[in-house]
Amino acid sequence: MKVEGRIFAGLAVFFVIVAVAYGELSREVVGTTALVLSGALASAIGFYGLRLNARLGPRPEDRPDADISEGAGVFGFYSPHSWWPLPTAASAAIMTLGFAFGWWLTVLGAFMLISSAVGFVFEYYRGYHAEG
Amino acid sequence: MTVLGDPPVAVATPAAVRLREPRGKVAVSWMTSTDHKVIGYMYIISSFVFFLFGGVLALLMRAELARPGLQFLSNEQYNQLFTMHGTIMLLMFATPLFIGFANVVMPLQIGSPDVAFPRLNMLSFYFFLFGSLEVVGGFLTPGGAADFGWFAYAPLNDVVHSPGAGADMWIMGLALSGLGTILAGVNFITTIFTMRAPGMTMFRMPIFTWNILVTSILVLLAFPILAAALLTLEVDRAFGARVFDSVNGGPLLWQHLFWFFGHPEVYIIALPFFGIVTEVLPVFSRKPIFGYKGLVFATLSIGALSIAVWAHHMYVTGSVLLPFFSFMTMLIAVPTGVKFFNWIGTMWRGSVSLDTPMLWAIGFLVTFLFGGLTGIILASPPLDFPVSDSYFVVAHFHYVVFGTVVFAMFSGFYFWWPKWTGKMLDERLGKLHFWLLFIGFHTTFMIQHWLGVEGMPRRYPDYLASDGFTTQNTISTIGSFILAASTLPFLWNVYKTAKHAPRVEVDDPWGWGRSMEWATSCPPPRHNFVSLPRIRSESPAFDLHHPELAPASSSHRSKIAAEPSPGAPGGTEPEPVSPTRGDS
Repeated sequence: MKVEGRIFAGLAVFFVIVAVAYGELSREVVGTTALVLSGALASAIGFYGLRLNARLGPRPEDRPDADISEGAGVFGFYSPHSWWPLPTAASAAIMTLGFAFGWWLTVLGAFMLISSAVGFVFEYYRGYHAEG
Repeated sequence: MTVLGDPPVAVATPAAVRLREPRGKVAVSWMTSTDHKVIGYMYIISSFVFFLFGGVLALLMRAELARPGLQFLSNEQYNQLFTMHGTIMLLMFATPLFIGFANVVMPLQIGSPDVAFPRLNMLSFYFFLFGSLEVVGGFLTPGGAADFGWFAYAPLNDVVHSPGAGADMWIMGLALSGLGTILAGVNFITTIFTMRAPGMTMFRMPIFTWNILVTSILVLLAFPILAAALLTLEVDRAFGARVFDSVNGGPLLWQHLFWFFGHPEVYIIALPFFGIVTEVLPVFSRKPIFGYKGLVFATLSIGALSIAVWAHHMYVTGSVLLPFFSFMTMLIAVPTGVKFFNWIGTMWRGSVSLDTPMLWAIGFLVTFLFGGLTGIILASPPLDFPVSDSYFVVAHFHYVVFGTVVFAMFSGFYFWWPKWTGKMLDERLGKLHFWLLFIGFHTTFMIQHWLGVEGMPRRYPDYLASDGFTTQNTISTIGSFILAASTLPFLWNVYKTAKHAPRVEVDDPWGWGRSMEWATSCPPPRHNFVSLPRIRSESPAFDLHHPELAPASSSHRSKIAAEPSPGAPGGTEPEPVSPTRGDS
């Protein structure tokens, strides 16, 4: 994670420098705020990446001499297919349509969104999966 | 559940017997898919459909402008057309097309079985699809679609100047599809950071993957600001807040927020397509990419600089810091020039063969160069003032954006079509397609530079015969119809290839493919690789297929070759170790 962390840390430094220069030269608040917040975003990710690197050390994908077999083993759980993204996004769309056509649609969409989001999140914690 | 290090299989077996599944079953398997390739295809297909729709809108405008006078459009209809043309091309075609390409190709290039969050990936797609349909659905409302221009300046975007459902649908639909884009960006960054194959260090990733990473970072920086601006605007419209009201300085606030999104957005749709071209050039020049690290740092600095140039879209407001933005904008030309240097250096003294993907890549270089040069003119405030909001600007950004997105898109289509579908697109039709589009494009837009310099403003549906714009407009319109006609050979090519082309049986039909996607079957299996090649350079597939050519010049490679070959006890992967390696 060293390179990854440094990319974001470097961006954070650049954004802060630009924010200071721009804010000082222009005295304009909107852009300065946006630049400072961009710096904050980049530094949060950069800090996390570098901390992670200090803790984990180089992973097989960080070492130029690593062999494929070093990645052997369980890689993670991958959902084979899922119905939930469709109703989740559809109800979000219904919710936003309410802004154009009437609040009843927003209320309806909000209820649908809550139920489908619950289904989405708990898909692999229910029924068959709950036993594992 | 995916387990790496499966037992070795010498050749990825192509599905020899393909039973045709019932249509409904296929539809359900696509609708519920969590396979990054299928989701990528859905992104690419939908964005291409939006591209065709946006193109039809452009043809309507060009037809109206062919002669002076209003022929068949009203002013309001014309406003809707250019608004939706811009919105569709940027946010429903180019942006999702980047996500489509990234989805299909990037995990293959880093040797990953999927993206980090497969269900989230599908959710992003549906956010994009439903959001975009909502925006386009504005055409079906009585007041018509949004008509305040694709950057929706205040106070034109308020409820007094733009009443009607079309505007609200535009705002909320874009917020929804923008959310999908943000989630896709998160997904890509996580995938690149955590799911690379062992040995695939950051500085061995293909340039395309690097560009996807930088683009995703820009998505994280830019799209939340768009979402904030859009939702605030909707609060203004729906609940009577006064954030973008003129008395509060709202118009300038909107422009700052919009362009703080809008300029990185230009690079969000440019960088991935630079990446595609960077993949194509070395393969058809039979040379490694020239100046790999220079390209990576150029991309990173373009990404960094792109958030500091937003107000060059606002020169004529008279309220921005001209020297700062002019300087930063010109500065961005430096890394872009470095990229050009590298692209040409890659072809230089290479064994160049003009297959269709290469033709498109060179078409990109030519077209984008023109756009870049006029960009430097526009970066200079004294030169920008007289041509601002004229057809000169229209010509500039079409050269930049069309040159990048469309040329590189077709380059990528012809290049990766065998990888995606298992069939090669027809080369002759591809060349016809290229030349029609190239001639059509330059006929349409080259002349618009002069049109703009002579004073024709953008976004006007009409002009007078005495203005002297008629000839140029007619030429431009003829060009636009040639441009549109060029799509027909492509569509025919897709159909013909699907019906009649022979199946590709090898991993790398081009013969000189470099990155990892060419080390798996065409099309790849569900989790991408049956076995992964050893990764010792930025061209693992090339090293695998051409072990005799694996270079031994760089120091760390010789060091590795000097080590005893690590015969892994499991004997997992084919290891292309040449006896001559490291001798020099």
